[in-house]
Amino acid sequence: MIEVQELRKRFTQGRGAKARTVLAVDGVSFTAADGRITGLLGPNGAGKTTTLRIAAALITPDAGSVRVDGIDVAMQPNAALARMGVLSDARGLYPRLTARENIVYYGRLHGMTRPAAAARAEALARMLDMQPLLDRRTDGFSQGERMKTALARALVHDPAHIVLDEPTNGLDVLATRSLRDTLRRLRDDQGKCIVFSTHIMQEVERLCDHVVVVAHGRTVAVGSVAELNAASGQADFEETFVDLAFSADERRQTQATGGAA
Amino acid sequence: MMAAAWTVYLKELVDALRDRRTLLVVLLSSVAIGPAVLVLISQLVAGIEKRAEAREVVVHGIAHAPTLRNYLERQTYIVREAPAGYEQQIKDSKLGDPVLVVPATFEADLARGQPPVVELLASATNQRSQTGSGPVLRLLRGFNQEQATLRLAVRGVSPAALEALRIEERDLADPASRAAQLSAMVPFFVLMAVLYGALNAALDTTAGERERGSLEPLLMNPSPRLALVLGKWGAVASVGILIAVLSCLSFLPGQWLLRSEALSAMFRFGIGEAAAFVGLLLPLAGALAAVLMAIAIRCKTFKEAQANATIVVLAVSMLPLVTIFNQEGQAPWHLWVPALAQTTLMGRVLRGEALPWTDVALTVAVSALLAAAAIAFVARTLRTAALK
Repeated sequence: MIEVQELRKRFTQGRGAKARTVLAVDGVSFTAADGRITGLLGPNGAGKTTTLRIAAALITPDAGSVRVDGIDVAMQPNAALARMGVLSDARGLYPRLTARENIVYYGRLHGMTRPAAAARAEALARMLDMQPLLDRRTDGFSQGERMKTALARALVHDPAHIVLDEPTNGLDVLATRSLRDTLRRLRDDQGKCIVFSTHIMQEVERLCDHVVVVAHGRTVAVGSVAELNAASGQADFEETFVDLAFSADERRQTQATGGAA
Repeated sequence: MMAAAWTVYLKELVDALRDRRTLLVVLLSSVAIGPAVLVLISQLVAGIEKRAEAREVVVHGIAHAPTLRNYLERQTYIVREAPAGYEQQIKDSKLGDPVLVVPATFEADLARGQPPVVELLASATNQRSQTGSGPVLRLLRGFNQEQATLRLAVRGVSPAALEALRIEERDLADPASRAAQLSAMVPFFVLMAVLYGALNAALDTTAGERERGSLEPLLMNPSPRLALVLGKWGAVASVGILIAVLSCLSFLPGQWLLRSEALSAMFRFGIGEAAAFVGLLLPLAGALAAVLMAIAIRCKTFKEAQANATIVVLAVSMLPLVTIFNQEGQAPWHLWVPALAQTTLMGRVLRGEALPWTDVALTVAVSALLAAAAIAFVARTLRTAALK
């Protein structure tokens, strides 16, 4: 279980007189339960990536906390990371290593023995349907192949919690489908706690048991797709999302520019 | 901690050694070039030696000067008649020897006690004719001296009256330190080998990792940052030292190719010297690897890091020049400056001088301190670097 409580993070851009502070996260809270897929839905710049980076101990929050199975990420980052597999926005691979070597390297960094990491790489390759890729160097992989390798790398230590930041970015429809299937299987067969962020509503509708709508750095709504639709009185989830995530001003502006175009 | 560092070390080493194209360029530029320069110099020196051994003088109109001919032949020189159109040939650098032009009135002038005027033709743009004119000038001076002595002797004056002082040259350099003159270029090439070996690996593990977006996922592993940096640093320093070892070894067969015997005698570089070099360069490889990484970790792209690393490359290649231009000789502060210190100590190895352990310990300590500071900086910067 991942519990996020009242996260706040302010960034300072520039130096001296030109310094400007940006409030990236201003009160994000949600709970992601085991055996469920929790979607973090929000427009670009809503603070999703910052929230997930705080969860992955890359950034320390100004206030609030993230707990993974009760372990505070800021206090015990290594213990928390050992329970989490994170597929971040940046998913660079080592082009001169094979997919297998990329995966085993991370296994070793998680403290696994070489045989254990190698066996796990095989098992993940079967699950992600990427066995033919294993012994190829990752230089020249397609986006989908890269994503599979990066996902396998993030899951090498068989974490109970899986955090994915916009995993479908740049994937074609087949790769997206195969990723969705994988996530469902991880939830149903292994009872993993999965959190993933996206700005695409269809993805949330198809996949998520629980939706956290984030806008302007804040959690604005929490619930299942049906619950959120009911609460806002809309039949279409896209309308619900626009209602929840954008202010009346923002909606009017977009319509005005849309009309002008 | 150490297990994680070891894992990173092995991975980075494999990664760096698989970068075949870069390695090949590094090998060509820092391992092959040293012996190549050595062989080129040997060709040049062999050519000069051949000319010195030939003992030939090219003269136009020697028939007019039997006295001069007699003198030259007594000095065991062979007199050769200048080819037709020698002036043009010297201008065109086709004739490598200077030409002595003797006037038709030479013998008559000499007999009358009037100095005959001879011309020595060489060209400033014809390097070989220039270097050749020195010995000919010395010969002519000898001829002058002999004639003058004879004339004085006829008049009953002691030749010693003409000599206010007598000069004898004595070369104080022993064979080992003379050998160091030619071998002096070896430390420079080996130093550059360490630098070029470490350069690409250092940039690739920091700025390169940042550019391809693999630094952020790497930091999401539960390994201490210091372990990651130590592993990377170890791998970079290892590649640097590996290239340095290859560079040292390349000079061993390189000297068999030396054409000139005198030159082979002047070049003293054996297994012992090579081992001492590698030993002296080990701490420097560590320091250079860490400094390059510290510079590169602040850069967003490999290209930017390359531009920034130029400062280090420039400094390391310029510092040894201090030992050449400094007229004061070795100063104590030389040992405090990395790269310069190693060049100084390697020079001592070549001259067969003793290496006091205090000097070696000092250079090791300076390098270790520099490496530690740079590693700490990289570990501290790693997280901010991953996110931007």
